[in-house]
Amino acid sequence: MPSIIINDQPVIVAEGTTVLEAAREQKIEIPTLCYNPALEPYGGCRLCVVEVEAGGRPGLQASCTLRATEGLAVRTDSERVKRSRRLTLELMLARSPEVPVLRAMAREHGVKDARFAAENESCILCGQCIRMCAERMGAAAIGIFNRGANRVVSTPFDDLSDVCRTCGACASVCPADCIDFETYGRHPAQPLNSEWNEGLRLRKAISIPFQQAIPKVPVIDPDACVHLNTGACGICSSVCVADAIDYEQADEIVDVNVGSIIVATGFDVLDPTPMEPFGYGRFPNVITNLEFERLSNATGPTSGKLLLRDDQDRYKFTRPPESVAILHCIGSRDVNYHEYCSRTCCMYALKYAHLLKDKCGHDTEVFNFYIDMRCFGKGYEEFLNRVQAEGVRMIRGKAALVTDEALDEDEEGKLVVVAEDTLTAQIVRVPVEMVVLCTAMEARANAPEVARTFGISVGSDGFFLEEHPKLAPVNTPTAGVFLAGACQGPKDIPDTVAQAKAAAAEALALSSAGHVTVAPMISGIDPDICIGCQVCIGLCPYSAIEIDSRRGVSVVNTALCKGCGSCAGWCPSGAAKVEHFTDKQIFAEIEGLLAEGSEG
Amino acid sequence: MQYATLNTSEGLNQALETLLGDLLDKGVVEAVMVPTRQFHKRVVMQSLIANRADLADLDPFAPVVTTNAAKQVAALTNRPAGRPVAVVLRSCELRAVIELVKLHQSHLDDLLLIGLDCYGRYENNAYLALAAGDEHLSATFVAQAASGGGTTLEGVEITAACQVCEYPVCDSVDLRLAVVGAEPGKQVWIEALTDKGREALASAKLEVAEGDPDGRTEAVGALVAQREAAKKQLFEEFTAQTDSIDGLQDALAGCINCYNCRVACPACYCRECVFVTDTFRHDGEQYMAWAEKRGLLKLPTDTTFYHLTRMVHMSTLCVGCGQCSSACPNDLPIMELFRTVSEKTQIRFGYVPGQDLQEAQPMATFHDEELDEVTGQSK
Amino acid sequence: MSKDFEPTITAFLCNWCTFTAADLAGTSRLSYPANVKIIRMMCSGMVDPKFVLKAFLEGTDGVFIGGCWPGDCHYINGNMKARRRVALLHEVLGRFGVDRDRLWLRWVAASEGNMFAETVEEMTSRLMELGPCEMKGKKVA
Repeated sequence: MPSIIINDQPVIVAEGTTVLEAAREQKIEIPTLCYNPALEPYGGCRLCVVEVEAGGRPGLQASCTLRATEGLAVRTDSERVKRSRRLTLELMLARSPEVPVLRAMAREHGVKDARFAAENESCILCGQCIRMCAERMGAAAIGIFNRGANRVVSTPFDDLSDVCRTCGACASVCPADCIDFETYGRHPAQPLNSEWNEGLRLRKAISIPFQQAIPKVPVIDPDACVHLNTGACGICSSVCVADAIDYEQADEIVDVNVGSIIVATGFDVLDPTPMEPFGYGRFPNVITNLEFERLSNATGPTSGKLLLRDDQDRYKFTRPPESVAILHCIGSRDVNYHEYCSRTCCMYALKYAHLLKDKCGHDTEVFNFYIDMRCFGKGYEEFLNRVQAEGVRMIRGKAALVTDEALDEDEEGKLVVVAEDTLTAQIVRVPVEMVVLCTAMEARANAPEVARTFGISVGSDGFFLEEHPKLAPVNTPTAGVFLAGACQGPKDIPDTVAQAKAAAAEALALSSAGHVTVAPMISGIDPDICIGCQVCIGLCPYSAIEIDSRRGVSVVNTALCKGCGSCAGWCPSGAAKVEHFTDKQIFAEIEGLLAEGSEG
Repeated sequence: MQYATLNTSEGLNQALETLLGDLLDKGVVEAVMVPTRQFHKRVVMQSLIANRADLADLDPFAPVVTTNAAKQVAALTNRPAGRPVAVVLRSCELRAVIELVKLHQSHLDDLLLIGLDCYGRYENNAYLALAAGDEHLSATFVAQAASGGGTTLEGVEITAACQVCEYPVCDSVDLRLAVVGAEPGKQVWIEALTDKGREALASAKLEVAEGDPDGRTEAVGALVAQREAAKKQLFEEFTAQTDSIDGLQDALAGCINCYNCRVACPACYCRECVFVTDTFRHDGEQYMAWAEKRGLLKLPTDTTFYHLTRMVHMSTLCVGCGQCSSACPNDLPIMELFRTVSEKTQIRFGYVPGQDLQEAQPMATFHDEELDEVTGQSK
Repeated sequence: MSKDFEPTITAFLCNWCTFTAADLAGTSRLSYPANVKIIRMMCSGMVDPKFVLKAFLEGTDGVFIGGCWPGDCHYINGNMKARRRVALLHEVLGRFGVDRDRLWLRWVAASEGNMFAETVEEMTSRLMELGPCEMKGKKVA
């Protein structure tokens, strides 16, 4: 391991280390513009020069390409070095006087303005983009063309490139932020919307899903990752000091033996895009309830500020709205979508109204368009009164239309909400800057599949059906499988917590009892009659029947059987019967009902 | 399809004896299950033959099926020996085997299925009488039928079931002994329908040709068309007599609850029929109550109930072999009842018993989206 | 037929839906024909075809099987099995001239008390049109 001297200080470094890396390891600052630890050193910007004092060719050399060899002595802050850096910066500033990173660096090094004729190039020709594209992305779609003062970064012949994947890696390393990568290739860019932020901001192909994620480790989006799709890149792996990136990791199926299962698969939010009258997706400032939640959240894209979205750039937020309409019952209590009430919207809509007044100022106009206010919980009615006292306008009438067609000056440039105010029986038009849609909670798209897996019934509303609405509200027809939360029906947080605790208690009660009590109406198969045709096995919805291959008869697992009688309803020999519903018993009932004189 | 030509100038049975003997000798199978004349040389029963010399009395083309051999195949393979056996079956037997396989009563893994073309069978007693007068009854019968001379011998007709059977030829077999369209006195064909069948043909060192034997398709088509026409006529006439509860009662009036029909039925696979269980052992008081309610109670009782229930349980699986009618001591038209009911239930569920091993039996499966017309409701 | 004919309907009702609906019809003070005689089943899929045949043999004029709407079955899919069995019974009984309208399978949710009442009303008037069942009183057993 070579030993070198930096600024009179001896340092032992690993074989192959550059002076720049050695210095940075010692926290000795050397400015760079073209250096990127993920890329091969380039020695292009010359800002990283150091003065070699011994052990090498004396004079100024770029530290990013200078290998640390035994006996090398360098100085990073000599007058000669500083002079050189200032000159370099002066020249660069002359070419690109408006580039912020350059201006900041010039200021730091005491360069006020350039003595040379100023141009106005945004590109500082650091070459990071080109190296990134060629070295790491394996595409080599861009290069530096022309000579001298005319040098530019572009694609061959300025044509749309076929090899460019529009991955954006070039732009991600550009210190001058001057790359419009979407102009390089033929393939349209695929923005990676942050799921956690409801698409209000972008994420990378490798990212930590959200701040409170457990475990808080990054995940790779396999569809977007360049390495997984082409074998190139691999930057995350090469920069990760913990060497924790494993591209080979794959989904695994883990068998877990459990005594009970709590199904808490939650709900989906109705996508309001197909509901054209509300203009979601057409108007940038028609947003959903969850998008509003992200805006309002301190870890959200606006750090909690309630801001309007830029008309041109969907990821940019500008200023607080002066007027907002909150539209209740979007897809709930609506025969065209869901007949049920989503239960949570009235209260969070009031919360939004309160937040708007609180965060955007009391003069912000807030309108609630509602069918009925359902403030049924503890303290809920009081909150409604408080919000109304804060000046929030309540309009009883479901909004019918959101339009940007102005009928008068007041409506110009605004979103106009049209509704019938059913208290005054008049059509109202309310111009606002932002519209929040309180979209319905709906059953998860895969609820029927999950239901089949766990032996749960699904109600006509798509949510899982509890065994009994009053007496067994967290139970399911399958013993040991319980329900918690909105997978059973729309509910708010207090209800969800209460139900979840009930489900947990039911599950614990099962395990602590150590035995299972079953209803007496369960099936049994007479082994003397059964001939093992196994038709009942195919009909049993609970997989409660198994074949005893030694005896060649089917056997009911009494702990799993729910007594539906699917087996007994068909078994031709009558070997399968449900206790208390045997042929003899039912025949007796029929005979009794139809006996002479039983009429009336 | 591959087929080989079997020279039968020495006699149909001799040719088959050589073929099956070769399969035994070559170790293709360890035994052969084939209809064979029993010791007094008249009654023909399925026999499991492991010794080549004992093949001498085989007589698979004898126009009699003492019992539907599907039950014997089930007995042999319910707990399989894991040793290869060739079984020689008619279409009605083979189709019943397939239904029993679906019901886990039989297994095909060990079996080399050899199907016989079938011109029909006589009732057991009629066969015995005919066989008493003709030592070579099988050859006479097959020769007459194959030459277009019909299936009536000395004024005796084949069973009603066979007259209306639209499946004279086996489909889901490995090998098929094809006489329809051939000249049984000179030569018949043996067709290989599966790889297993082709391998068996190869090991028997038979000269193999590709394609269908000359004139076979037409001959089979003509036979099926004739049977279909007879079936149509019988179904129309019989349905007209029994399209009411009165008609049904009339047809069943002589039933003595012997349950022979269900014992003979290859599809009735229950160990014990529900009608012989305790459920139908009634108290004296019960009989009295019924008699009082109706004024008259025919004894034995539960007969209509039994037959309707058996139609519900088994009609979708009925292969039309007619053994039920043959077994009935009082000559009730059980075959006719079952076939006319089966036609309706099998069409309703689009099910053809004995056709496809992969197709679930109608009452062993169900779908979310089907049969909406039953309730006529939609949400 | 006689104007005095009052048909008898034997109803096999699922405990979780139609039986509850019948209860609800009662507690809601809905009136429906007294022609219906109810046997509680745990599920429509529990109704053995023998029960239906037995009811006819004992002289009922119609059989009504009430099950949960598709997808709502308390036991996941018992109603789907019931539907196949009823289709089978329609074919077998229909072959002997028993009208399909003598055997009804209907989906009635627990909340549909009024629908239960309407269904019984409808079935009763249909059976009045059809008259007494052919199996009744003919010493059939």
